[in-house]
Amino acid sequence: MKEPAAVLLIFFSLIPSLLAQERFRKSPPPPEPLLELRLPNVETVRLSNGLTLSVIFKENMPVIHLQLTILAGESSSPEKLPGMATFAALMLSRGTQNISSSKLEEKIESIGGVFSTSTAMDHSLWKFSFLDEYLDQALTILSDMILHPAFAEREIDAVKRTLHYDLLRNEKDPEFLAKRHLFKLLFKDHPYENFSFNSGVTKNFNQKELLAFFNKYYRPNYAHLVLVSSLNLKTATRKVSHYFNTWEKLEFENPPLLPPKPNEKERVCLIDMPQVKDCTIYLGNIIMPLANPDSFTFLVLNQVLAGTPYSRLFMNLRESKGYAYYAFSAAEFFKMCGVFMVSAKLTPDVSYLSVQEILKEMRLLAKEPISFFEIEQAKSYLIGNFPLQIEGLDNFSSRLAELKSLNMAEDYLRNYYKNIMFVNSDKVFEVAQKYPLLTPVIVLAGDKEVLLDHLSEFESVEVYDNKGTYQYAIHK
Amino acid sequence: MALRKFFTAFSVLSLMGIFWGMSASQIDSQKKFPFPVTHYQLKNGLEVILSEDYSLPLVSVSVTYNVGSMNESAGKTGLAYLMEHLMFQGSADVNPMQHLKYINRVGGRLNASTLEDRTIFHQTVPSNQLALVLWLESDRMKYLEINETKVEQAKNILLEDIQQRKANNPYFESFLIFDEILFPDSAYSRPLSGHEEDIQNLTVEDVKSFYSNFYLPNNAVLCIAGNFNKIKAKELVAKYFETIPKGKEATWNGEPPAPVKNPVVKTLENSLASSPAFHLGFRIASPSSNEFYTLTIIDYLLLRGQSSRLFKRLLSKEKIALQLNGGIEKRKDRAFYRVFVTCNKGLADLCQQAIFSELDKLKTTFISEEELSKSKNMLKQDYWTRVSTNQDKAIFLSEAFLNLKNFDDLPSELDKCLRVTPQDVVGIVNRYFTKENSIILNIKTR
Repeated sequence: MKEPAAVLLIFFSLIPSLLAQERFRKSPPPPEPLLELRLPNVETVRLSNGLTLSVIFKENMPVIHLQLTILAGESSSPEKLPGMATFAALMLSRGTQNISSSKLEEKIESIGGVFSTSTAMDHSLWKFSFLDEYLDQALTILSDMILHPAFAEREIDAVKRTLHYDLLRNEKDPEFLAKRHLFKLLFKDHPYENFSFNSGVTKNFNQKELLAFFNKYYRPNYAHLVLVSSLNLKTATRKVSHYFNTWEKLEFENPPLLPPKPNEKERVCLIDMPQVKDCTIYLGNIIMPLANPDSFTFLVLNQVLAGTPYSRLFMNLRESKGYAYYAFSAAEFFKMCGVFMVSAKLTPDVSYLSVQEILKEMRLLAKEPISFFEIEQAKSYLIGNFPLQIEGLDNFSSRLAELKSLNMAEDYLRNYYKNIMFVNSDKVFEVAQKYPLLTPVIVLAGDKEVLLDHLSEFESVEVYDNKGTYQYAIHK
Repeated sequence: MALRKFFTAFSVLSLMGIFWGMSASQIDSQKKFPFPVTHYQLKNGLEVILSEDYSLPLVSVSVTYNVGSMNESAGKTGLAYLMEHLMFQGSADVNPMQHLKYINRVGGRLNASTLEDRTIFHQTVPSNQLALVLWLESDRMKYLEINETKVEQAKNILLEDIQQRKANNPYFESFLIFDEILFPDSAYSRPLSGHEEDIQNLTVEDVKSFYSNFYLPNNAVLCIAGNFNKIKAKELVAKYFETIPKGKEATWNGEPPAPVKNPVVKTLENSLASSPAFHLGFRIASPSSNEFYTLTIIDYLLLRGQSSRLFKRLLSKEKIALQLNGGIEKRKDRAFYRVFVTCNKGLADLCQQAIFSELDKLKTTFISEEELSKSKNMLKQDYWTRVSTNQDKAIFLSEAFLNLKNFDDLPSELDKCLRVTPQDVVGIVNRYFTKENSIILNIKTR
């Protein structure tokens, strides 16, 4: 008889501790103090021919990351040859005077190499990663591409064909078209307009124009090389100098780029995409460049408005009204300015109402200060998410290269936490009033046969085809 | 599981294939991990792997359940993928979709994927939020709230997902049919996304039973990779996971492979596809065999990179194919090699002849040291890319733990691939890449 009683006694004596044990499950645990963000050390040197070399040292790196930036992006493409910067960047890996395109591919892969190209508004970037024992071979390959490009007619035709078909495929994508058109109108008559080139441009490219572009911009004094490896600055400098010392610099008159003017009056455009059943919206305007201290405040504003699925616009358009599949906002930054944009996908019948809701939410930002809680939540997201953006040394070095193309120092990355921490509700309120959020260019992509019926409340709507060519306008 | 996920899984697994089972006695050189790794087991059977990296204030947590579509029974397909959805629909102390919200609010990132033999949940957050993730993961492992509304909702999402995959990829169904030809009437060919009629008939009880059979601490691997204090992390793991009761051991009865005597050639009429296509497959050695190291190298020789043999022959030189992909696919103890080709009308036969001609060359001529070295270097690059972020590392270590008979063998696995010789290649191609062992599914357009 004693035993069951003892068991019961033990059982009942355990209940409080069992309950206490499980109590911690009822609510999320509080966070520990935020750890300091320590970024890799970057050492930079300028070689005698003007090439800037940045070295990031990391011990025991089995893979070396190398990034070459040429400070010529689409804004440097000739006025009559938009897309030339993209084309030239793609041609770089298509064979040299010493080796064919297919042999070059083989050489890259034989050192465990992965090579990729991208062209932005202000720069073109090549990413090259390979096994650490092959640094000399990699530098030989890269210097051969830069110093002895072949630009053979056969390769020119092949790259033109690939680029053309890639663009044709993109021109079936409403998001691609809406964003491209937004940029085209915001940057009208500015060199940044080149960025919005369409599939028709490839027919204008030829060897002569390519060489002219290459010879002008592919110069060491317009280039930046980032090397992430277990080499110190001295050894890296010696190696890079050895392979690139015959790369000749060229100084030329570069007319200063002026910042584009923001759109001053609401403008509504429709890209006709027959048979497309949904409506895609991109609306936005010109804002400050990244170098402007307001950019940190703007990032917080963007986060509150529609940075995540829990931001105001997403909750309004999708969760509350049920209008949209998604609604997000973003800021993209270039050397001379930034672009703030909101994108959403919805059914055509609510397209007008959705635009009005987006504008209402943006108006609210300039009318009422945002609560402390919302601001802190947005900052918490930005601070928490930042290390994720630069995780992996190739991502960190890409950010570094991007900053260089914007004429900015790596301090931006080092001071990011601090600058976001300083943002408060008053600053966001001030920035919301300072920048022209309420006079955006509004681009809708969808089937005009369906969409136009739902856009009659707008004062006027300009209609364009999928190449961005103006067709006609309708008025209220 | 949808085709996009299928391909993601496919590429991950083809690389993971190299880290498969060798017994400790077969290891001739014990190497060390190139990064810190600690492994231990909780009393309830949960395997825990910790790997510190102090580069950035980030931490990744993955929970890999040793369950996938292969664990579904006939007529109950779709359960594994359905569970992936339900794991975000609320547990005892976390409301539906709150898991996403908690991670998102702190700037974190999360995702999940279902494979034939695994279901992986992973998230990366700022280091100071490690406890938050462990709280969330332990809550849904301990008590997931499953009810009729949630199950019906998840079923609808899954059915819609299948419809979308079918609409977006005209070859979607051909992948399922090819699997059925490879593994007739077998758990090995259960479609990741499930059969639509099975999904419609799934009940709450089916789902609850699947959850209680497989979503157990003794059927899971928890991996934490990143910037954390090991002692504190161990305390947190104990706090959140140790009280989760152990369940009945999940069993897997591998079926013996069906004997193959003759090549299989089948044809599928497809009104959606704009170009003809074909799947060409070969049943290959088990991932736990020694031969798998050579098969991994053969995969690189044939299909990895623009300068691989099949890419060069079909796309660059003869330009007879429009699209070419494939590689090793594994399902627990089985594996096969797939080449999927789309081409212009009338060129399918020519493409198949070209592939067999390349295989014949590999059967009769030793590959050069240069070509072998190129394949090995590409494999090495992929290996290091697989551990370049905390999230990659967490998934890599969990997968390796489940794949290897002895986890400590992992550091020496790469070396075994690097020791493959031209003679090994000739031997293995002759053994497995034969017409007799081939399965072809031709897809004809109407």
